[in-house]
Amino acid sequence: MSVTFNFDVLTSGRTVIGDTLDEIGKKDERLYVVTSDIGGALKNFRADCPNRYIDVGIAEQCAAGLAAGLALDGNIPVIMGMIPFMTMRACEQIRTAICYQNLPVRLIGTGGGLTSGGGSTHNAMEDIALMRSFVNMSVISIGDPNMIRDILYLGMDYPGPMFIRLAQGKEDHVIYEPGTIKYEIGKGIVAKDGDDATIFAHGEMVYQALEAASKLEKEGIHVRVADMYSIKPVDEQLIVKCVEETGHIVVLEDHLMTGGLASVISEVLLEKGIQPKGFKKLGIPQVYAGFGSGEELRAKYGYDEAATVQAVKSLLQ
Amino acid sequence: MADKKEIERLEDIAFEVRSKLLYLCGTYEGAVHIGGDLSAADLMTALWNYGLKNNPNNIQDPGRDRFILSKGHSAVLMYIVMALRGFWDFDQMVKTYGKLDSAYGMHPCRVQLPALECSSGSLGQGLAMAVGMAISARNKGEKHRIVCFMGDGETAEGSVWEAATVANSQKLGNLVVVVDRNKQFMTSYSEELITLEPYSDKWAAFGFNVIQIDGHHMGQIMDALDALPTVDSHQPTAIIANTLKGKGVVFMEHNLGWHAGRLSEADYQKAIASLRKHYPREAGKE
Repeated sequence: MSVTFNFDVLTSGRTVIGDTLDEIGKKDERLYVVTSDIGGALKNFRADCPNRYIDVGIAEQCAAGLAAGLALDGNIPVIMGMIPFMTMRACEQIRTAICYQNLPVRLIGTGGGLTSGGGSTHNAMEDIALMRSFVNMSVISIGDPNMIRDILYLGMDYPGPMFIRLAQGKEDHVIYEPGTIKYEIGKGIVAKDGDDATIFAHGEMVYQALEAASKLEKEGIHVRVADMYSIKPVDEQLIVKCVEETGHIVVLEDHLMTGGLASVISEVLLEKGIQPKGFKKLGIPQVYAGFGSGEELRAKYGYDEAATVQAVKSLLQ
Repeated sequence: MADKKEIERLEDIAFEVRSKLLYLCGTYEGAVHIGGDLSAADLMTALWNYGLKNNPNNIQDPGRDRFILSKGHSAVLMYIVMALRGFWDFDQMVKTYGKLDSAYGMHPCRVQLPALECSSGSLGQGLAMAVGMAISARNKGEKHRIVCFMGDGETAEGSVWEAATVANSQKLGNLVVVVDRNKQFMTSYSEELITLEPYSDKWAAFGFNVIQIDGHHMGQIMDALDALPTVDSHQPTAIIANTLKGKGVVFMEHNLGWHAGRLSEADYQKAIASLRKHYPREAGKE
């Protein structure tokens, strides 16, 4: 069940996006890219499909509404943006123009969690809570950068809107041997097996969870890591299975501890009447986190690798 | 110049549209946005019966013009105009309007009513969708127009001007904005608390081909629709139609109390009498 992973290979998620969109765009005229003045990685798409590369300027509301209009005429628009502005400035357009009409718009956001380096204006800590609350919206959080390619291909035929979250997308750890994973919306992956506890993580935190698990392994603690890339719909069976098989669970995410994956898992377990032996949330508390690198901020707010190791140990004591 | 017979035909339809609006306003148990419906009635009548390519027998007709009702609270006006055009039965619409599971509600829902091009109701969102549709139509080499019908009040929304900027940048000659400039919002008159003038100049400054008309003069409305540039031209058009909120019912005209409301039986009779006075041909039939 566990999957090969290699911490040494780094790939830019943004480059994967750019290459994949260009590849699909040249073959499929339904694909549009809508950006609000970002998109260094989109040069090839812009050159190859100039009529379907729509830069609206710094106008996220317009990007979302315009994409809805494109989708109403049978197209598959991908909006590229920085998460806080894409999801919050255009929040109502996403909800009413896109989700209410159940349109196949894909929103790809970068800067997930506290990774932006820009301070609290640029941090993205509420996005999953917001996006998952919208009826019809699917929510995907990218850990392994190569995953984006498969998700974008899946997205060409998947019904309804989809929010795809990345961290910085510049130097991402390749987690899985390319070509070995069949990604499905609504599924999770056991990235590492173990039976003492499960760390549920998504996005960049999957890599951190694997690093923590590897440290714990050396101390004889066998931790399972579940990559919950599909936050909505979520893999309920995998959640239940992990709780039943490992008892203790830690939810680790670069998002507010309220409204994200920790809330999703809590809802699933409570509804099914399943009580884990121990439960610990790691993520952003109710603060505007301020300046610093993602790594520094995770340490400051208690959800870095050391804190993850500690959380598992404290559950098992 | 518009043909006199055609003007009269459209005026007669507009009279029927207003009569049916008042009927609904007198029978429906909830509020109807009657003021803005009456200001938009002549424009909407002319669009669906003269300006727009539309086909009640084939709502998927690829050649149809796309009509976006950005001022979604005038849905009931659109339902009535489309009923008279043959899209559905008026009585059937009235019977279910606003009721549980009805396709016809206060704001248009495309999921429930597939003959509509989009859902709307949150103001200021229609133009961006229209711009997306216009880009798609242009890229596919299609010859239809995208017509976005707006209220002047909603053009206080910044999102309108974001979309106007992109319409200009993309040189969308297939895009037509029609603004029902009734100079009245829900709680104040234009220029009283919110200054919108110089209104037409604003659209011109955003790169639109501006046509100013009297939105209750059927001949002028038809002339404006006749004067639209070809779809493969490179400039979007804005028809700024000066109108009167409540037009046709004297006690509703220019009256903030009639943004939305219900008509009692006595008021309904007064309203119909007032409407007949507006339409000499109808009064003559009595």
